[in-house]
Amino acid sequence: MNLQTVNANVARVPFFRFLNFEVQSMDDFHAEAEMTFEAHHIGNPIMEHYHGGIIASFMEATAAIAVQPDFTEVPAKPINLTVDYLRPGVKGPLYARANVTRKGKRIASVSVITWQTGREKQVAEGLYHFLLV
Amino acid sequence: MADISREYMEQIAQMWNARGKGLITHMALEIEKVSSEGVRVRMPFNPDFCVDKDQTLLHGGILTALLDSVFGLANFVTIKGVSSMATLDLRVDYLRAARSRADVIVSAHCFRKTRHIAFNAGNIWFDGHEDAEIARGTASFALTRGDTSLLEAMTKGKAS
Repeated sequence: MNLQTVNANVARVPFFRFLNFEVQSMDDFHAEAEMTFEAHHIGNPIMEHYHGGIIASFMEATAAIAVQPDFTEVPAKPINLTVDYLRPGVKGPLYARANVTRKGKRIASVSVITWQTGREKQVAEGLYHFLLV
Repeated sequence: MADISREYMEQIAQMWNARGKGLITHMALEIEKVSSEGVRVRMPFNPDFCVDKDQTLLHGGILTALLDSVFGLANFVTIKGVSSMATLDLRVDYLRAARSRADVIVSAHCFRKTRHIAFNAGNIWFDGHEDAEIARGTASFALTRGDTSLLEAMTKGKAS
Protein backbone atom coordinates (compact mmCIF):
# COMPACT_ATOMS: atom_id res chain seq x y z
CA MET A 1 0.00 0.00 0.00
CA ASN A 2 1.71 3.22 -1.08
CA LEU A 3 1.59 6.48 0.88
CA GLN A 4 -0.22 8.36 -1.83
CA THR A 5 -3.15 5.91 -1.75
CA VAL A 6 -3.24 5.97 2.06
CA ASN A 7 -3.30 9.76 2.14
CA ALA A 8 -6.03 9.80 -0.50
CA ASN A 9 -8.02 7.53 1.86
CA VAL A 10 -7.31 9.89 4.75
CA ALA A 11 -8.51 12.90 2.75
CA ARG A 12 -11.90 11.26 2.21
CA VAL A 13 -12.69 11.22 5.95
CA PRO A 14 -14.25 14.51 7.13
CA PHE A 15 -12.91 14.21 10.68
CA PHE A 16 -9.41 13.40 9.41
CA ARG A 17 -9.51 16.61 7.37
CA PHE A 18 -10.54 18.43 10.56
CA LEU A 19 -7.47 16.96 12.31
CA ASN A 20 -5.34 17.85 9.26
CA PHE A 21 -2.63 15.21 9.26
CA GLU A 22 -0.57 13.32 6.71
CA VAL A 23 0.76 9.77 6.87
CA GLN A 24 4.51 10.00 6.34
CA SER A 25 5.69 6.42 6.49
CA MET A 26 4.28 2.96 7.00
CA ASP A 27 4.92 -0.74 6.78
CA ASP A 28 2.98 -3.89 7.77
CA PHE A 29 2.81 -3.08 11.47
CA HIS A 30 3.54 0.66 11.74
CA ALA A 31 2.27 4.03 10.65
CA GLU A 32 3.75 7.46 11.27
CA ALA A 33 1.89 10.71 10.74
CA GLU A 34 2.32 14.46 11.18
CA MET A 35 -0.52 16.76 12.27
CA THR A 36 -0.52 20.48 11.51
CA PHE A 37 -1.52 22.79 14.35
CA GLU A 38 -4.88 24.54 13.87
CA ALA A 39 -6.78 27.10 15.99
CA HIS A 40 -9.64 24.59 16.41
CA HIS A 41 -7.16 22.12 18.02
CA ILE A 42 -6.61 24.41 21.01
CA GLY A 43 -7.65 23.22 24.46
CA ASN A 44 -5.99 25.84 26.63
CA PRO A 45 -6.65 29.20 24.93
CA ILE A 46 -4.10 31.15 26.99
CA MET A 47 -1.14 28.84 26.52
CA GLU A 48 -2.43 27.68 23.11
CA HIS A 49 -1.82 24.03 23.92
CA TYR A 50 -3.46 21.18 22.01
CA HIS A 51 -6.72 19.88 23.47
CA GLY A 52 -6.10 16.46 25.04
CA GLY A 53 -9.02 15.09 23.02
CA ILE A 54 -7.42 16.21 19.76
CA ILE A 55 -4.18 14.43 20.71
CA ALA A 56 -6.18 11.26 21.54
CA SER A 57 -8.12 11.59 18.25
CA PHE A 58 -4.92 11.93 16.21
CA MET A 59 -3.48 8.88 17.98
CA GLU A 60 -6.67 6.92 17.29
CA ALA A 61 -6.58 7.93 13.62
CA THR A 62 -2.92 6.88 13.24
CA ALA A 63 -3.62 3.59 15.05
CA ALA A 64 -6.60 2.84 12.79
CA ILE A 65 -4.47 3.43 9.70
CA ALA A 66 -1.70 1.16 10.99
CA VAL A 67 -4.32 -1.58 11.45
CA GLN A 68 -6.26 -1.05 8.23
CA PRO A 69 -4.57 1.32 5.78
CA ASP A 70 -6.78 0.09 2.94
CA PHE A 71 -10.14 0.90 4.58
CA THR A 72 -12.85 1.49 2.03
CA GLU A 73 -15.85 3.10 3.75
CA VAL A 74 -14.78 4.04 7.28
CA PRO A 75 -11.57 3.56 9.31
CA ALA A 76 -11.09 0.52 11.60
CA LYS A 77 -13.74 0.15 14.33
CA PRO A 78 -12.40 1.29 17.72
CA ILE A 79 -13.36 -0.65 20.88
CA ASN A 80 -11.60 1.37 23.57
CA LEU A 81 -8.51 3.30 24.48
CA THR A 82 -6.34 4.47 27.32
CA VAL A 83 -4.09 7.51 27.05
CA ASP A 84 -1.39 8.82 29.36
CA TYR A 85 -0.68 12.53 28.98
CA LEU A 86 3.00 13.16 29.68
CA ARG A 87 3.71 16.72 28.50
CA PRO A 88 1.64 19.59 27.11
CA GLY A 89 1.28 19.62 23.33
CA VAL A 90 2.45 23.09 22.33
CA LYS A 91 1.65 25.14 19.23
CA GLY A 92 3.33 23.46 16.25
CA PRO A 93 3.36 20.10 14.47
CA LEU A 94 2.63 16.92 16.41
CA TYR A 95 3.98 13.51 15.34
CA ALA A 96 2.51 10.08 16.05
CA ARG A 97 3.82 6.55 15.59
CA ALA A 98 1.45 3.62 15.87
CA ASN A 99 2.78 0.11 16.40
CA VAL A 100 0.45 -2.87 15.93
CA THR A 101 1.34 -5.07 18.90
CA ARG A 102 -0.98 -7.86 17.88
CA LYS A 103 -3.40 -8.33 15.01
CA GLY A 104 -5.60 -11.38 15.38
CA LYS A 105 -8.64 -12.45 13.37
CA ARG A 106 -11.07 -10.33 15.38
CA ILE A 107 -9.09 -7.93 17.57
CA ALA A 108 -6.05 -5.72 17.13
CA SER A 109 -3.99 -4.05 19.88
CA VAL A 110 -2.09 -0.94 18.89
CA SER A 111 0.28 1.22 20.94
CA VAL A 112 0.83 4.82 19.91
CA ILE A 113 3.29 7.51 20.96
CA THR A 114 3.24 11.20 20.07
CA TRP A 115 6.01 13.78 20.31
CA GLN A 116 7.05 17.21 19.08
CA THR A 117 10.73 18.05 19.60
CA GLY A 118 12.08 14.52 19.85
CA ARG A 119 10.73 10.99 20.10
CA GLU A 120 12.23 10.57 23.56
CA LYS A 121 10.14 13.53 24.81
CA GLN A 122 6.70 12.00 24.42
CA VAL A 123 3.63 14.19 24.63
CA ALA A 124 1.32 11.22 25.17
CA GLU A 125 1.22 7.48 24.82
CA GLY A 126 -1.80 5.29 24.36
CA LEU A 127 -3.15 1.81 23.83
CA TYR A 128 -6.02 1.27 21.39
CA HIS A 129 -8.13 -1.80 20.60
CA PHE A 130 -9.93 -2.32 17.30
CA LEU A 131 -12.59 -4.78 16.20
CA LEU A 132 -11.75 -6.23 12.81
CA VAL A 133 -15.02 -8.05 12.10
CA MET B 1 -19.53 20.41 48.44
CA ALA B 2 -22.02 22.63 50.28
CA ASP B 3 -19.38 25.38 50.30
CA ILE B 4 -19.85 25.98 46.59
CA SER B 5 -22.77 28.22 45.76
CA ARG B 6 -25.13 27.88 42.86
CA GLU B 7 -24.08 31.38 41.82
CA TYR B 8 -20.41 30.35 41.69
CA MET B 9 -21.23 27.34 39.53
CA GLU B 10 -23.20 29.46 37.10
CA GLN B 11 -20.35 31.96 36.95
CA ILE B 12 -17.88 29.20 36.10
CA ALA B 13 -20.26 27.82 33.47
CA GLN B 14 -20.56 31.25 31.87
CA MET B 15 -16.80 31.73 31.81
CA TRP B 16 -16.36 28.31 30.25
CA ASN B 17 -18.73 29.34 27.49
CA ALA B 18 -16.92 32.64 27.00
CA ARG B 19 -13.62 31.17 25.77
CA GLY B 20 -13.34 32.67 22.32
CA LYS B 21 -11.39 30.01 20.45
CA GLY B 22 -10.30 26.42 20.36
CA LEU B 23 -11.96 23.04 20.12
CA ILE B 24 -14.58 23.66 22.83
CA THR B 25 -15.83 26.73 20.95
CA HIS B 26 -15.84 24.76 17.71
CA MET B 27 -17.90 22.00 19.32
CA ALA B 28 -20.51 24.70 20.18
CA LEU B 29 -21.17 23.10 23.57
CA GLU B 30 -24.23 24.15 25.54
CA ILE B 31 -24.25 23.61 29.29
CA GLU B 32 -27.60 22.14 30.28
CA LYS B 33 -27.16 21.42 33.95
CA VAL B 34 -24.56 22.32 36.53
CA SER B 35 -24.64 21.08 40.11
CA SER B 36 -22.40 19.58 42.73
CA GLU B 37 -23.69 16.20 41.50
CA GLY B 38 -22.16 16.79 38.11
CA VAL B 39 -22.68 18.54 34.80
CA ARG B 40 -24.65 17.85 31.64
CA VAL B 41 -23.59 19.31 28.31
CA ARG B 42 -25.10 19.18 24.80
CA MET B 43 -23.02 19.05 21.62
CA PRO B 44 -24.99 19.84 18.46
CA PHE B 45 -24.43 17.53 15.49
CA ASN B 46 -21.47 18.64 13.37
CA PRO B 47 -20.61 16.94 10.05
CA ASP B 48 -16.90 17.82 10.55
CA PHE B 49 -16.75 15.18 13.28
CA CYS B 50 -17.91 12.28 11.10
CA VAL B 51 -15.87 9.56 9.42
CA ASP B 52 -18.21 8.48 6.62
CA LYS B 53 -19.11 10.05 3.32
CA ASP B 54 -22.77 10.44 4.31
CA GLN B 55 -21.65 12.14 7.52
CA THR B 56 -23.82 10.23 9.99
CA LEU B 57 -21.14 8.31 11.93
CA LEU B 58 -19.15 10.24 14.56
CA HIS B 59 -15.44 9.50 15.03
CA GLY B 60 -14.64 8.04 18.45
CA GLY B 61 -12.02 10.71 18.99
CA ILE B 62 -14.57 13.49 19.21
CA LEU B 63 -16.39 11.58 21.96
CA THR B 64 -13.08 11.26 23.81
CA ALA B 65 -12.48 15.00 23.36
CA LEU B 66 -15.98 15.70 24.63
CA LEU B 67 -15.44 13.63 27.79
CA ASP B 68 -12.08 15.30 28.44
CA SER B 69 -13.65 18.77 28.08
CA VAL B 70 -16.67 18.08 30.25
CA PHE B 71 -14.55 16.44 32.97
CA GLY B 72 -12.62 19.71 33.09
CA LEU B 73 -15.84 21.65 33.54
CA ALA B 74 -17.07 19.25 36.24
CA ASN B 75 -13.82 19.82 38.16
CA PHE B 76 -13.96 23.60 37.85
CA VAL B 77 -17.50 23.74 39.22
CA THR B 78 -17.05 21.25 42.06
CA ILE B 79 -13.53 22.05 43.31
CA LYS B 80 -12.82 25.52 44.59
CA GLY B 81 -9.43 27.19 44.31
CA VAL B 82 -8.13 25.37 41.23
CA SER B 83 -6.10 27.64 38.96
CA SER B 84 -5.40 25.06 36.29
CA MET B 85 -5.51 21.35 35.65
CA ALA B 86 -4.00 18.81 33.30
CA THR B 87 -5.41 15.46 32.22
CA LEU B 88 -3.19 12.70 33.57
CA ASP B 89 -4.88 9.80 31.87
CA LEU B 90 -8.08 8.91 30.15
CA ARG B 91 -9.88 5.67 29.40
CA VAL B 92 -12.82 5.48 27.01
CA ASP B 93 -15.03 2.54 26.00
CA TYR B 94 -16.93 2.92 22.75
CA LEU B 95 -20.11 1.01 23.55
CA ARG B 96 -21.81 1.13 20.15
CA ALA B 97 -21.36 2.81 16.77
CA ALA B 98 -22.14 6.54 17.13
CA ARG B 99 -24.42 6.67 14.09
CA SER B 100 -26.98 9.48 14.28
CA ARG B 101 -27.44 13.13 13.39
CA ALA B 102 -29.00 13.82 16.78
CA ASP B 103 -27.32 16.10 19.34
CA VAL B 104 -24.92 14.38 21.69
CA ILE B 105 -25.46 14.59 25.45
CA VAL B 106 -22.63 14.14 27.94
CA SER B 107 -23.00 13.70 31.64
CA ALA B 108 -19.90 13.87 33.85
CA HIS B 109 -18.98 14.16 37.48
CA CYS B 110 -16.01 14.21 39.81
CA PHE B 111 -16.30 11.18 42.12
CA ARG B 112 -13.26 11.90 44.24
CA LYS B 113 -11.12 15.00 44.75
CA THR B 114 -7.91 15.36 46.72
CA ARG B 115 -5.52 18.29 47.05
CA HIS B 116 -3.61 17.26 43.92
CA ILE B 117 -5.81 14.86 41.98
CA ALA B 118 -9.41 14.67 40.74
CA PHE B 119 -11.08 11.48 39.51
CA ASN B 120 -13.88 11.69 36.95
CA ALA B 121 -16.42 9.53 35.21
CA GLY B 122 -18.92 10.26 32.47
CA ASN B 123 -21.17 8.88 29.78
CA ILE B 124 -22.46 9.90 26.38
CA TRP B 125 -25.69 9.22 24.51
CA PHE B 126 -27.68 10.67 21.63
CA ASP B 127 -30.45 13.05 22.68
CA GLY B 128 -33.59 11.02 23.36
CA HIS B 129 -31.69 7.71 23.66
CA GLU B 130 -30.41 7.76 27.22
CA ASP B 131 -30.94 3.99 27.42
CA ALA B 132 -28.42 3.42 24.60
CA GLU B 133 -25.11 4.87 25.78
CA ILE B 134 -22.55 5.29 23.01
CA ALA B 135 -19.48 5.82 25.18
CA ARG B 136 -18.32 5.80 28.76
CA GLY B 137 -15.09 7.16 30.15
CA THR B 138 -13.02 7.77 33.24
CA ALA B 139 -10.08 10.10 33.76
CA SER B 140 -7.77 11.54 36.37
CA PHE B 141 -6.56 15.13 36.49
CA ALA B 142 -3.59 16.81 38.18
CA LEU B 143 -4.81 20.00 39.88
CA THR B 144 -2.82 23.17 40.36
CA ARG B 145 -4.12 25.13 43.32
CA GLY B 146 -4.35 28.92 43.20
CA ASP B 147 -6.74 31.81 43.51
CA THR B 148 -6.97 32.94 39.91
CA SER B 149 -8.57 30.27 37.80
CA LEU B 150 -7.71 29.75 34.17
CA LEU B 151 -11.31 30.56 33.32
CA GLU B 152 -11.20 33.87 35.19
CA ALA B 153 -7.90 34.81 33.54
CA MET B 154 -9.48 34.09 30.17
CA THR B 155 -12.50 36.30 30.79
CA LYS B 156 -10.26 39.10 32.01
CA GLY B 157 -8.08 38.73 28.95
CA LYS B 158 -11.18 38.99 26.83
CA ALA B 159 -12.44 42.13 28.55
CA SER B 160 -9.18 44.07 28.24
